[in-house]
Amino acid sequence: MSGSQPMIAASEITKHYGRLEVLKGVSLGVERGQVKVVVGPSGSGKSTLLRCLALLEPIESGSIVLDGEDVAWQARGGRGERSLVPFRSQLCMVFQHFNLFPHLTALENVMIGPVHVRGVDRKEARDEAMALLARVRLGDKAERYPHELSGGQQQRVAIARALALRPKVMLFDEPTSALDPELVREVIDVMEELARDGMTMIVVSHEMRFAHEAADAIVMMDEGRIIEEAPPDRFFRDPTHERTRRFLQLAEL
Amino acid sequence: MQFDRQIFWEALTSSTFAAGAALTIGLAVAAQAAGSILGLVVALLRGSSLPPVRWGAAAYVWLFRAVPTLLQLLFVWNALPQLIPSLRDPWFTPFLAAFLALSLNESAYMAEIIRSGLASVDRGQMLAGKTLGLRSDQIFRLITLPQMIRVIIPPTGNEFITLLKLTSLASVISLRELLTVTSQTVAVNFRFAELYAAATVWYLAIVSVFMVLQAQLEKRYQWSSRERDVRTMPVFARVAAGNR
Repeated sequence: MSGSQPMIAASEITKHYGRLEVLKGVSLGVERGQVKVVVGPSGSGKSTLLRCLALLEPIESGSIVLDGEDVAWQARGGRGERSLVPFRSQLCMVFQHFNLFPHLTALENVMIGPVHVRGVDRKEARDEAMALLARVRLGDKAERYPHELSGGQQQRVAIARALALRPKVMLFDEPTSALDPELVREVIDVMEELARDGMTMIVVSHEMRFAHEAADAIVMMDEGRIIEEAPPDRFFRDPTHERTRRFLQLAEL
Repeated sequence: MQFDRQIFWEALTSSTFAAGAALTIGLAVAAQAAGSILGLVVALLRGSSLPPVRWGAAAYVWLFRAVPTLLQLLFVWNALPQLIPSLRDPWFTPFLAAFLALSLNESAYMAEIIRSGLASVDRGQMLAGKTLGLRSDQIFRLITLPQMIRVIIPPTGNEFITLLKLTSLASVISLRELLTVTSQTVAVNFRFAELYAAATVWYLAIVSVFMVLQAQLEKRYQWSSRERDVRTMPVFARVAAGNR
């Protein structure tokens, strides 16, 4: 296997809702262990791109190749939704609003993937889930229900829940934007650790400190297209695209 | 004529009244169970992507809510056997007829309650289930169903109490439920006050027991770590946690 083969590669993805074109031919590749941060104004298609990559939305045209295998969910023809279900757990998504299961404890939330998707027996799944909760520093909250946890804690449980599936790629959709400012750091810390441990990640976020410290590249989206991609230093210091410059100024990043 | 406590007490503790009450409870529980399952099916069909299926399910709810329960009961008991000869055989008892009519009637109301329960589950829950790689049947069983049940417990409790009292309509088809045995006893001794009071106490007792059961069920669906005890967890939560 060559080191440069991307873990996930999307090419020329298009997607529209009715007459509204949301993605107008987007190509993005992430190599094994790489972290890419996607930024851009609201409505630029960032979240839609992520949902298409997570196989939660069908695409009109283009391809998505995960670790050498074409997995794209095509709106017409190609693979149907049912045959894609096994791939979803390899492209696990972390949501802006956590979406933990309120009727399950933190531990049960993390166990649900191993038990019901990977088919691991219950005792082993429990040990694994406890280890993952400890890794996101929530070992003492295993028996708590989501509503008994803070937003930052909930998001860390959600990260552990995704990790329990041993995904090849983790997708983060604005993971800290629903959090109170003082809770952002604890989530970012966990994400930076994941990045250091070699997790392949695509992160839609405006947390510039995370982008600086953990990203291999920053991708700027505007009006359904990727208009610029560069390593963080160059992206912030010397963006080539006029649109990016304006965005950085307005966002006061 | 004075209220005769002796007659009241004898009626209250009689095996006739107890048997009538047992039949009332049995009919209500059976019709509630069947109506809930059928209502779930109808609620799911109302969310179908095929318009004719949706319309069919909506028409079903419309029909069984619009026609008076008493008329449905009389129809099943008197008219159906005229249309379907095999229903004239002895196996088609008043209990079966009442069960059939009340189940169909109840399913229309439960379909609406379940429909609103399903709608109350956040869409993000389904997305989270999907991204974990759960199949749609697993998402329904492990995620949607337990969250829906929590929402529908109070209105379903209401429905059950209504249903419990609707069983008294079956007195018109001579099912020996609680009100029938009361009327039959009254016809013998004309002690209206004592016997109606005895029936009232039975209905109060039955409803009280079910109110306590409902309160316990609601407590179990609080999803709070203080209430947590694995042995008393509802079956759906246990399944979701992968427990056997």
